[in-house]
Amino acid sequence: MKISLSWLKEFVALKAKPQELKTALTGLGLGVEALVQAGDDFIFEIEVTTNRPDCLSHLGVARELATHYRLPLKQPKTIVKESSRPSARAVSITIADADLCARYCGRVVENVEVKPSPAWLARRLEAVGLRPINNIADVTNYVLMELGHPLHAFDLARLAGRKIIVRRARAGEHLRTLDGVDRTLTPENLAIADAERAVALAGVMGGEESEISSSTRTVLLESAWFDPVSIRRTAKAHGMHTEASHRFERGADIEMAPVALDRAAALIAEVAGGEVLRGRVDVYPAPRRPRAIPLRSSEILRLLGADVPAKDVGRILSALGFQVAETKSSKSKVESRRSKAAFDSRHSTFDSSWKVTPPSWRPDVSREVDFIEELARHIGYDRLPSRLRVASRRIEQNEAREKELEVSRRLTALGYYEIVTSSMADPEENARFTDRPPVALANPLSQEASVLRSSTLPGMLGALGWNLDRDRKDLRLYEAGKIYVAKPVGAEKLGELPEERRVLTLGLTGTWREKRLDEEEKNLHAGFSDLKGDIESLLEAFDSAGVRFDPESSSCYEPGFAGRLAAAGAPEPLAIFGRLRGARAREYKFPQEVWLAEIDYDQLLGLKLKARTFRPFSKFPAVERDFSLLVPAGIPYSRLAEALSRSRVEEVMDTRPVELLPEGKIEPGHYSLLLRVRFQSPSRTLTGEETATLGQRLVNSLALLGVRLRS
Amino acid sequence: MQIRALRKHGAPLHILAPGKAYRRDNPDATHSPMFHQVEGLAVDTDITFADLKGTLDFFCRKFFGEKVRTSFHPTYFPFTEPSGEVSISCFVCEGRGSDNSGQICRTCKGSGWMEVMGCGMVHPEVLRAGGVDPERYSGWAFGLGIERFAMVKYDIHDIQLFFQSDMRFLEQFG
Repeated sequence: MKISLSWLKEFVALKAKPQELKTALTGLGLGVEALVQAGDDFIFEIEVTTNRPDCLSHLGVARELATHYRLPLKQPKTIVKESSRPSARAVSITIADADLCARYCGRVVENVEVKPSPAWLARRLEAVGLRPINNIADVTNYVLMELGHPLHAFDLARLAGRKIIVRRARAGEHLRTLDGVDRTLTPENLAIADAERAVALAGVMGGEESEISSSTRTVLLESAWFDPVSIRRTAKAHGMHTEASHRFERGADIEMAPVALDRAAALIAEVAGGEVLRGRVDVYPAPRRPRAIPLRSSEILRLLGADVPAKDVGRILSALGFQVAETKSSKSKVESRRSKAAFDSRHSTFDSSWKVTPPSWRPDVSREVDFIEELARHIGYDRLPSRLRVASRRIEQNEAREKELEVSRRLTALGYYEIVTSSMADPEENARFTDRPPVALANPLSQEASVLRSSTLPGMLGALGWNLDRDRKDLRLYEAGKIYVAKPVGAEKLGELPEERRVLTLGLTGTWREKRLDEEEKNLHAGFSDLKGDIESLLEAFDSAGVRFDPESSSCYEPGFAGRLAAAGAPEPLAIFGRLRGARAREYKFPQEVWLAEIDYDQLLGLKLKARTFRPFSKFPAVERDFSLLVPAGIPYSRLAEALSRSRVEEVMDTRPVELLPEGKIEPGHYSLLLRVRFQSPSRTLTGEETATLGQRLVNSLALLGVRLRS
Repeated sequence: MQIRALRKHGAPLHILAPGKAYRRDNPDATHSPMFHQVEGLAVDTDITFADLKGTLDFFCRKFFGEKVRTSFHPTYFPFTEPSGEVSISCFVCEGRGSDNSGQICRTCKGSGWMEVMGCGMVHPEVLRAGGVDPERYSGWAFGLGIERFAMVKYDIHDIQLFFQSDMRFLEQFG
């Protein structure tokens, strides 16, 4: 809302400089977005919050400043010179739908001369961003900007039967509005009608047929109050937003209607000649009944942490137009406190209460706390006390958060960078990676972002692709995000939310570290065991006994280069990982292999962090032995590892595969694996014979799987 | 968030709730349809506006630097009353609005202040909806944008950088 300083000064004798006023307005909650000089005037562009329709006018802003600077507020002049003929003879006004129109006031001005406005009026409108039209329309806009009440002027001669009927529109009723658009109305819309048809869309825009034109001689001025919800719906349904609808939908001042009407009538008489007929036609079936609301000093202290002296309560609220009646009064117990640090007492020195009646222009005020906010605003938030207390409550560590941090630490140590990608996805791309139904958005920005994702892979692939396109070839990325799974059609229940699952996604491509001078780069390309190793490093943080790796066949991953990880008896895998299938990689135009892992983060975080217990180490030497094994194809290493651990050879400190020869290289139907085992006894040095016996026990335990030593 | 947390845990309650937030904005340098927010809520029998100011002032100084001053001014949120906007004095030009050579400060655009977060006293109807008696308990709440805070603190001028996953961005904060 544009506010002119010179216009404000007609209501309050402001002395402060524009910059000071800007600071004061911001301090009152009327944020100034811009302050510009326009000739000898200054224009404030004020961002008025939706709860303050009263400040969509110069009078409203002036009232705030008058209260702030403790200056008197001048009320607008409303002396109307009337002719002897009563307006009630010239027009009849009926409200048929009083639930949507609580008041309708009209005045008739005869013998006007429609012409351009005088310079002073045109300048004022231009200063606040309005285009002058003609003297009649300009007066209604002038009063709108000045008092905040929307008005409308009809050419009375064009109203059939010289009648105004405020009623719901008939289904299919037509109206061409002032913007030249033919509109079809519905009974949802409140119409202003004459004896025959709709002539205006109430509170939003007038109709073209009854518009003021150069031939207009008799003007009917409308000043009404329409139901905010109805106006909001109508304006939205017709895709309209006008100065009038903007105010009516926030709540206009019902008692301002006759004041604004008189102001406009007097101004029209001044700038367009004409005679104002005697009296207003004022249809006001159920006048507003102001309600007094209690306010207690104890409540002010309880919420603000500051005492506000009774005289300040009275001064601030009265200046803002509230009626204040003290119902209980007790003077400050310590008189001197009032003068020094009035707002900084911790213990109430007052015990007063009031009955406060909000004015008609403050639809936002209906509770005790609303008064307290008014006091806080006008004392100034920065003048109210500030207190920093020592937290006395027990603070518990969040166990889930500890686990998340452990996962982040491990991934960071492995060289991963954390990313965040959009939850909103393209449904077609999403469907290529999962069968889970995504959640459709009701009002999406674009087709590419029209569902909440049910797979995190497109986001990860997008991130990898973004960097590959920018010649960053060696990437390790992770995202801890959610997927959203819609309930199957027919199974949704009202108020039930879609399923949200947390997924930890890894993306890996290129080399896993920079090559040294004496190395070949291809040997450093990330592969299956790098990805699997990274997942194992994560698992090491947790108590993951019973979790097993198995081969995976899934449409997203290259067969033979994909694995799954599952806890015993769990219905869903803990992780699925592998190389992106060649066909997919080509769709994304990736120039190199890409490795991905989807880890069920809820399941992973459901595991316990590994308890650490010190294990004394042996002071006797360890012995390493290598076993060259022939393993039947189809028996994964995880089965060997299980068998080895089940053999319970106490002296086995560590077993790890160190070399792999693929199937068929040595013997058909078998692959060859070199297994390195470290033996160590806590109580003595192992002899060669002892080590051989222990080794044989291990080999025996593997024999059950068909594994044998290479001869 | 506030009502659900109050219903679940009751009062007194002090919580921080970070999470994704969505708004139907077309993406540009200062808008993103998805971003992250932290909501804070403190409800107890003796919480006042003074605690709100003191706590957020302390937080802003710890986050942006000890030289930072805070200023509170009124605004409107439907779920708090009184409601406020927190501004910090610009930590680049130290609130002067211009640098030593008289150039307008790029960070605060010359005003010397930057709006960083919204806050307020929890609306009595929110407490009531959370099953808490507003005559006995009071509370304060705040909401801040994580990207906004990072942009102010690290002089980042494009919110899209947070979601592009560009290594040249990630490496600077990794």
